[in-house]
Amino acid sequence: MMTLAARGLCVSARLAGHAVAVLRDLDFAIEPGKILGLVGESGAGKSMIGRVLARSLPSGFAVSGGSLDFHGADGKVSDLVAMDGAELAHLLGDRIAFIPQEPLTALNPLLTLRTQFGEHLARLGVPAGDRNARIIDALKQVRLSAPQSLLERYPFQLSGGMCQRVLIAMAFASNPALVIADEPTTALDVSTQATIVQIMRGLQRDHATAMLFITHDLRLAARVCDEIAVLYAGEVVERGPARIISQDPQHPYTRALQAANPPLRGPLTRLVTLPDQMPGLSALAGLTGCRFAPRCPTRDPSCAVASPELRLMAQGHWVRCAPACAGFRPAAPSIMRMSAEASASEPVLVVDTVAKHYPGKRDWMGRRGQGVDAVRTASLSVRPGEFVGVVGESGSGKSTLAKLIMGLEAPTAGRILIDGHDVTAASTATRSIRLGALQMVFQDPQSALNPRRPVVRLVTQTMEAARSCASDTERLARATALLAETGLPPELINRYPAQLSGGQKQRVNIARALCVTPRLLVADEIVSGLDVSVQAQILNLLLDLRTERGIGLVFISHDLAVVRYLCTRMLVMHQGLVVEEGETDAIFARPQHPYTRALLAAAPPDDLDSPWPPSGPAQETLDAMA
Amino acid sequence: MAFLTLQLLFRRLVLAIPILLCVSALVFAILRLLPADPVGMSLPPGATAADYEKLKQAFGLDRPLFEQYLIWLGKLLSGDLGGSIFFRRPVNELIARALPATLELVSAGFALGVIIGGAGGLAMFAMRGGAGEHALDGATTIMMAIPEFLWAILLILFVGVSLQLLPFIGRLGPGIQLPPPVTGFLLVDSVLTGRWDSLRSALLHLILPATALAIGLAPLVMRVLRSSLLETVQDDYITQARLRGVSERRILLRHALPNAALPAISLIGVQGGFMFGGTVLVEMIFAYPGIGNLMVDAVRNHDLPVIQAVALVYCVLVLGINAVVDVAYMAVNPRLRLAGSR
Ligand SMILES: Nc1ncnc2c1ncn2[C@@H]1O[C@H](COP(=O)(O)OP(=O)(O)O)[C@@H](O)[C@H]1O
Ligand code: SF4
Ligand SMILES: [Mg+2]
Repeated sequence: MMTLAARGLCVSARLAGHAVAVLRDLDFAIEPGKILGLVGESGAGKSMIGRVLARSLPSGFAVSGGSLDFHGADGKVSDLVAMDGAELAHLLGDRIAFIPQEPLTALNPLLTLRTQFGEHLARLGVPAGDRNARIIDALKQVRLSAPQSLLERYPFQLSGGMCQRVLIAMAFASNPALVIADEPTTALDVSTQATIVQIMRGLQRDHATAMLFITHDLRLAARVCDEIAVLYAGEVVERGPARIISQDPQHPYTRALQAANPPLRGPLTRLVTLPDQMPGLSALAGLTGCRFAPRCPTRDPSCAVASPELRLMAQGHWVRCAPACAGFRPAAPSIMRMSAEASASEPVLVVDTVAKHYPGKRDWMGRRGQGVDAVRTASLSVRPGEFVGVVGESGSGKSTLAKLIMGLEAPTAGRILIDGHDVTAASTATRSIRLGALQMVFQDPQSALNPRRPVVRLVTQTMEAARSCASDTERLARATALLAETGLPPELINRYPAQLSGGQKQRVNIARALCVTPRLLVADEIVSGLDVSVQAQILNLLLDLRTERGIGLVFISHDLAVVRYLCTRMLVMHQGLVVEEGETDAIFARPQHPYTRALLAAAPPDDLDSPWPPSGPAQETLDAMA
Repeated sequence: MAFLTLQLLFRRLVLAIPILLCVSALVFAILRLLPADPVGMSLPPGATAADYEKLKQAFGLDRPLFEQYLIWLGKLLSGDLGGSIFFRRPVNELIARALPATLELVSAGFALGVIIGGAGGLAMFAMRGGAGEHALDGATTIMMAIPEFLWAILLILFVGVSLQLLPFIGRLGPGIQLPPPVTGFLLVDSVLTGRWDSLRSALLHLILPATALAIGLAPLVMRVLRSSLLETVQDDYITQARLRGVSERRILLRHALPNAALPAISLIGVQGGFMFGGTVLVEMIFAYPGIGNLMVDAVRNHDLPVIQAVALVYCVLVLGINAVVDVAYMAVNPRLRLAGSR
């Protein structure tokens, strides 16, 4: 008995006359009441299933083989790929429901919740008189308080977490046989993620719904799913029970994925990284044999000859690999924690009780609105070679703090010192002190790079400053050195940003910041847009820079595991306040502030036997935040 | 909602005052600096220099320019637009007679333009990639390539003269009595007094001039709506609606169209203002007794008070249509209506 079964599903794209398989021979089956996780990095093809069902494949893409069999309650089996569009629309939203990735854009901005939910209920045949009560009931089930007051709201008046709960309520309103959730928590904060997962799983369990849970997060999938299929470049490379896939993976890629994720507990070892990144469509076109071969640490010449088959390793555990390759596990060297005497020197940066208030906009009568206290009060100091993490959820004031440090905004209170010089007030002198000591790396590598400049000019941009009239040869030499230092291949030097991958762009950003040999980098969420395997490369690059240059770092992130991996000290921000500060190890071992405790509890622990999502007081704090 | 709309209208009103003052002062100054002699033109042949001075004093044209403006402004505030030099009538009366005609014409042209533009935009979108889209695209190009007044002439020649399908002179057919005046609007008065013959005739007379005006607006609305629909259907909520099994028709009309309409509404606001400029020529060509024709007569006869007054009326109308479009935009877009509330 199963609900959905993919049998040899293939989706191909036409690329310069060639057909490239975007999904190749996808096989899986989901039973009622079970959750199958589809795990992979961006571009692996995870969202293609949703697009196949919505009949909205990108132009040039088409299903080129196989079937997606949906087993109805009446025992009727229908192939969702081949069936007629009207018949499919009949199933969608009723027997098969979706939970989207971006809750804020998934609802029509011009219609109230009542209208949109009502439309859905009308489609399900709920009589007009019953709809209000049904909506309120459904919103209660996703633990939205005061549902009555939400009915007349528009999506933009709700937070992402609230929108996602509404969408979950809509998905389950028809008691569907199958729910497909495509990265349902990726756009949300960690604390919200825990609550959303709990609500979703609760409903799924109550209704014995079969669920396809698509995510890039192996750790989350291990928590949520019964079974996991790991997707790489359009192929399932490993499939099996969630516990086995997450704790004893066999395929080199799954192992790499797991090793790239810094742990939340236990000893820290240097992350083992893969070279490069997943090949894009055009690179796939020229690839024969194993699609993972170019990055595989254990490949041998035979791997490039023929594409390996999925092999049955144990009960229900399939791996697409040559038998000889399985089991190889390189030893990881231990990470060095910074010693106490190294941090005895004078701080490069001191931020002394700064605050930033953004005044509200004036209305047409000249009255000021309320304004925002983006940072209420924050202090921090960074010594040479010290990595300090700043964690907190979106809107907690982290980015504003970074802007204050960089002098991009003026604080409304407090002082900022660099090497003991007060640089709070903006002037030519303070600007040059800052320029010599600090550099910032921005969150979005895409928009931070001028698309019309080649890499060589991007990374040496600071050498264009009026006084340092550097020659082209000097710049070329500098750029070459910087590329080598940031692990970029030298042939990229004349490329433009559009020709670089996400990870390469972020390296160029870092290389650019290093050009003036700063002693401190300020990095705002620089790995949050990257895939785990690329993220690990960047994290290791930062560690190398500390060893080689003794550089310091203010590392802003919402990801606790990453901060634990990099930083010796950390600050926790909440609503513009630093609520906790201290040694990273101490905070992880004994969090003092309830918010820190809730935040730590919200991250899914590696140990599958410790309960998650949390219950008790941490749960209540999380619920209040979500 | 109601409060914010009122606030918006109030803000518009407050902003309108300095704009109107500037426009009136500008028109006033330019007219007085022109080497025109309205007094001389309105005197009968054989009048003496003393007659000339007397008349000039009577019109107040002997005083300093600034004083003349203040006097005019003072009267304006009490609702008196002065007396026409040429028509020898109060300007108020002239405008009261001509304005309803223009308003009827513009409303009809505006409505027709929006309906044709909206339907055409939807049709272009629905037939995207096919021959129908190309045909409509070609049609919009032709519509835009020919100026409104030329359309007016073409419509007269083809529909009016060759086919003799529709009348093209004035507001009413010969032999049809005006309905008793109630509001001054011919269509409204005809309905109110049950005069179906004049209603029919007035409607038939409106079709050609309104079409000529609509042709200026419709192709732009069509194109903007088509391209914004193409963008909107890529939006996430459209895909999600489809994944909930909402019918394609409903997705288009209920979800995509209102979102896609927002840029089209902004465009209509800008173009609606330009439409009044088009009325002057169109009224002339169709001998339609609106303020456009009044303006032309006044200019021809150097009738300064009338020119000033009509210029001001045009300005008020443009500001008014902008306010109407703003309110419409706000009605469609809750983000503006609920600004600041969260
Ligand atoms: N330029 C600005 N004007 C007004 N409010 C701002 C501005 N920048 C940030 N904020 C507000 O300050 C708060 C903190 O924002 P931010 O520093 O961006 O937090 P984070 O980096 O943690 O996401 C948020 O409520 C945000 O809306
Ligand atoms: S088949 Fe070869 S290249 Fe592919 S994953 Fe296995 S060992 Fe690596
Ligand atoms: Mg931020």
